[in-house]
Amino acid sequence: MEIRVKCGCGEEGCSEWTIVELQGVVDSQSSFQGSVQNLEIGRLCHSDSSQESYTFTVGYHELTGSKVTLKKPLLVLKKLQKCTDGSSEKETELQVVGIIRSKILFKTRPKPLFSGITSLFCSCLLL
Amino acid sequence: MEFDIPLPEELELLEANSYYPEEEDDDYLNFEEPPYPYPIDGDEEKEEEREANLRRSESPDINGCKRPRSIVSDPIVNLDEGSSPAAEKRSKIDDNNRVEMEDEEWLRPPPIKKVVHVMEEEEEVIIPQETILSRYASEIDGECFPITAPDGGDRVYAKFNRALGDEEVKKLDVKAKSNGLIKDPISVLLEQSEKEAFNKVLQASSEDQNESITAETSVMHERLWVDKYSPSSFTELLSDEQTNREVLLWLKQWDASVFGSEIRSTTDEVLSALKRHSTPSHRQKSDSAFTRKKQFSRWSKDSSSFPKNSDASDSNATDNHDLRNKKSKLIGPPEQKILLLCGPPGLGKTTLAHVAAKHCGYRVVEINASDERSAAAIETRILDVVQMNSVTADSRPKCLVIDEIDGALGDGKGAVDVILKMVLAEKKHATGKENIDNGKTSSKKERRTAPLSRPVICICNDLYVPALRPLRQIAKVHVFVQPTVSRVVNRLKYICNMEGMKTRSFGLSALADYTECDIRSCLNTLQFLNKKNETLNVIDIGSQVVGRKDMSKSLFDIWKEIFNKRKMKRERSNDASGSEAKKFDFLHSLVSSRGDYDLIFDGIHENVLQLQYHDPAMDKTVSCLDCLGTSDLLHRYIMRTQQMHLYAYLPSLVIPIHRRVAQIQRPTIQWPKSYHRCRTLLVEKQESLRSWHHKIPPYIGRHLSIKSFVEDSVSPLLHILSPPTLRPVASHLLSEKQKDQLASLVMLMHSYSLTYKNVKLDPAMSNLREGAASDASALALDPHLFDFISFKGRQYKHHVLTLAMKQVLAHEVEKQKILQASGGRSGILSKPPEIKKINPDLVRKTIAASKESHKNPVISKPPSVSVENATTSKPKPSDVKKASRTALSFFDRFRKSRKDYEDPEDVQKRATAKRDSRPLLFKFNEGFTNAVKRPVRMREFLL
Repeated sequence: MEIRVKCGCGEEGCSEWTIVELQGVVDSQSSFQGSVQNLEIGRLCHSDSSQESYTFTVGYHELTGSKVTLKKPLLVLKKLQKCTDGSSEKETELQVVGIIRSKILFKTRPKPLFSGITSLFCSCLLL
Repeated sequence: MEFDIPLPEELELLEANSYYPEEEDDDYLNFEEPPYPYPIDGDEEKEEEREANLRRSESPDINGCKRPRSIVSDPIVNLDEGSSPAAEKRSKIDDNNRVEMEDEEWLRPPPIKKVVHVMEEEEEVIIPQETILSRYASEIDGECFPITAPDGGDRVYAKFNRALGDEEVKKLDVKAKSNGLIKDPISVLLEQSEKEAFNKVLQASSEDQNESITAETSVMHERLWVDKYSPSSFTELLSDEQTNREVLLWLKQWDASVFGSEIRSTTDEVLSALKRHSTPSHRQKSDSAFTRKKQFSRWSKDSSSFPKNSDASDSNATDNHDLRNKKSKLIGPPEQKILLLCGPPGLGKTTLAHVAAKHCGYRVVEINASDERSAAAIETRILDVVQMNSVTADSRPKCLVIDEIDGALGDGKGAVDVILKMVLAEKKHATGKENIDNGKTSSKKERRTAPLSRPVICICNDLYVPALRPLRQIAKVHVFVQPTVSRVVNRLKYICNMEGMKTRSFGLSALADYTECDIRSCLNTLQFLNKKNETLNVIDIGSQVVGRKDMSKSLFDIWKEIFNKRKMKRERSNDASGSEAKKFDFLHSLVSSRGDYDLIFDGIHENVLQLQYHDPAMDKTVSCLDCLGTSDLLHRYIMRTQQMHLYAYLPSLVIPIHRRVAQIQRPTIQWPKSYHRCRTLLVEKQESLRSWHHKIPPYIGRHLSIKSFVEDSVSPLLHILSPPTLRPVASHLLSEKQKDQLASLVMLMHSYSLTYKNVKLDPAMSNLREGAASDASALALDPHLFDFISFKGRQYKHHVLTLAMKQVLAHEVEKQKILQASGGRSGILSKPPEIKKINPDLVRKTIAASKESHKNPVISKPPSVSVENATTSKPKPSDVKKASRTALSFFDRFRKSRKDYEDPEDVQKRATAKRDSRPLLFKFNEGFTNAVKRPVRMREFLL
């Protein structure tokens, strides 16, 4: 079986993605009935200091993690189904959307957070 | 022929060294180790030595008769080459003469100490036959011993051989008999000289311990009368009859445990030792006897036992036997193992202790103030007393007398501690003593804290010295009282008669009176006067030199002296001014000899107002307090400037106080406690205020020093904190104005970080504030501000809130605290001016907001707001600054929106809003990752 993997980003280079690995579960509040659409997950901040440390604030918790380079880079693929030649047979194609070379790993116990957040320089990435 | 011809180089070495033959012989005999003194004799010639060697080899007969002796007796014959030149030198003398001379010298009784040396080092005697000499240690197998010539520094090694001392001594015997020029064999001579030394020691020690007055007094003319006429028997004691008897009784109670079974066992020493091993019922005794026996074993092994020693033990036995007959009942030591005698100096405490102990058959061991009294030294001495028994003639059990145990505080304390430790150890092991005794005698001896098994008598002047406090509880205390003047005078008269000094009885009584029946100082004064050929003059006894023991009275005595006016018995002592001056001197010296000025003044201050003196115009009181104030100022100045010499002026301040307030009736004096109490209270309150001050936010705290707060603003603040208009009702029943009031009060309390807390009220406190609830626990302000306005005997006029109101307030303040904490920085920043002014505006606003929130329920609002904000704060990596600012503004806005709900009544809603602001929650999975690895087929990608 042949699977065609196509990379559509020839000219400007593949966009780089990052995995955020959490030890735990991110749940929505019960009042939202499980729908997580349009909800803010949290804020991921990259500290300005020399070491690569990130803080991720979800709900009442602040997680601290670091950037880890993956041993094997991963590809982010997008499945495309095309109808070719008008026939009923669909042709499946995988399109490379991005490449993942590193992940941000939060493996320590989160810090409970009650009052305002005092973060310095925040570069917020919403995933 | 053991003398080889020396090697040429050795001879060269030895050229300079020559010996005196006598000395060498002595040394040979005494097994003296080399090195010998090497007198340098430059005349010694090499040729002569050679010649001598030749001659020696030519005359074997002489050597034959001489050498065997040296073989046997001399362990180090060949130890170094030194012996050969000596022999060579000897050969210069006529052979016949030489033999005689040598024999004589050899037979001369050697110095004793060397023999002792030999006997003590029996193990290390070298057997001559096996002596091997070498210049190299490696050539000798086994142990070797280096020998260095002092001059040349040449070193040889001799082989060690261990042998028993007996053999050696026997050999000596044989040798001596073979050369029978003296009647007695050398061993007998040695013994005799030993015995002489031993007897001498015995005599000396018995003289030492014989405290009674012997005929020597006549020889020693300058002997102190105090010693000369000190009571030597129990009946001569001058001190109180009752006390004497009780001390004697106490000592007698020791008899059973001290003398108890020794009598039985001293009949035959060996047998008893064996018996003791089998039935060690009295451990201490058996131990001491055992050690004694061990010490003697050395002597009794070879020679016959010393007659003197056996005599001593015999007399000991009879002595003990007598004592045993006196007291045949077998009872344990007395309940209190320590006797504490106290009283002013010169009443005969020490004498009583000595006499009583001697009377009961003890040998007194005294530890005085002049001895070393560190804890370790004391402990060894006490252990000595308790466990050892004397080897010498005076083998009576010892009785420890610790004189002036209160003397030096630090050192005396060491002694007290050791004694206490021993007594307590005794008590602790009292139960398990039996089996220990049966089981392991030896191991118990090695224990550090041995129990006390000999009487200990402690003597002190001041019973209430702090160091003696623990001792006082476990010891049997006897306080000496002054003997009557007539008794003292009688004794003094007797002594004066004996000494041929003419005195009149009323002079003596005046003297006794003056010295407060201090017999020692009386006698010393009398002797002094006698020496100077003066008579005792009644009028100026005070001016005469009366030597008194350096003493200081206890603080209570001093206070009593200050507050108590002596009844002037002798009004006839004509002029009042003289007596006043005397009183002045007396008080001054009394106070200055004590030295604890601040404590003395504390005591005066504590007690002076309790005195009952006639003072209608209060001027006495005023002047007394004036004096105290002066002393305070002076003391403070001294402490500040460290000019200690100004202390000299402090005691004189006591005198005006005395003259103002002294009464004839006996005052009840209390130890000054108020100063200490007030001081601790002050420290405590200061500490609580300080910690509170740290808790106040700095923008308030910096305007509020603790001192000014306590002095100025406590009372108004308390008025504000407890307004009389607040009613403890449910908050919705409050009128608008009351609500405002409540809110402002809560804000105030919060900003001053005051709150109501549950405290356990002690009854005194609840008495103080009668309005407050009198049950065990009540709510009180957290820093006890009411304490600062409550003074003894004064009721403060502040309105006190009811318990319910306090509860409401505590609740509200707690809530406010939480709100503030979650409100964050900006909220705090925005609030201070309002708080400072105690402005009701804010409160009004918040209440208004709450009403508003009542009107339109907010449920779906927060998420939308948050989403909105989230969209506005979308990442713009290009300008981070702006992003952060938006975030900040977002939060500000968010807070504001949240602040709208800040009403105490609908916390519930606020909670939901808060929850909704965080739509997603993170749940941490502890310890492991929940990631699931599951196989994914390629097909699933495609279809």
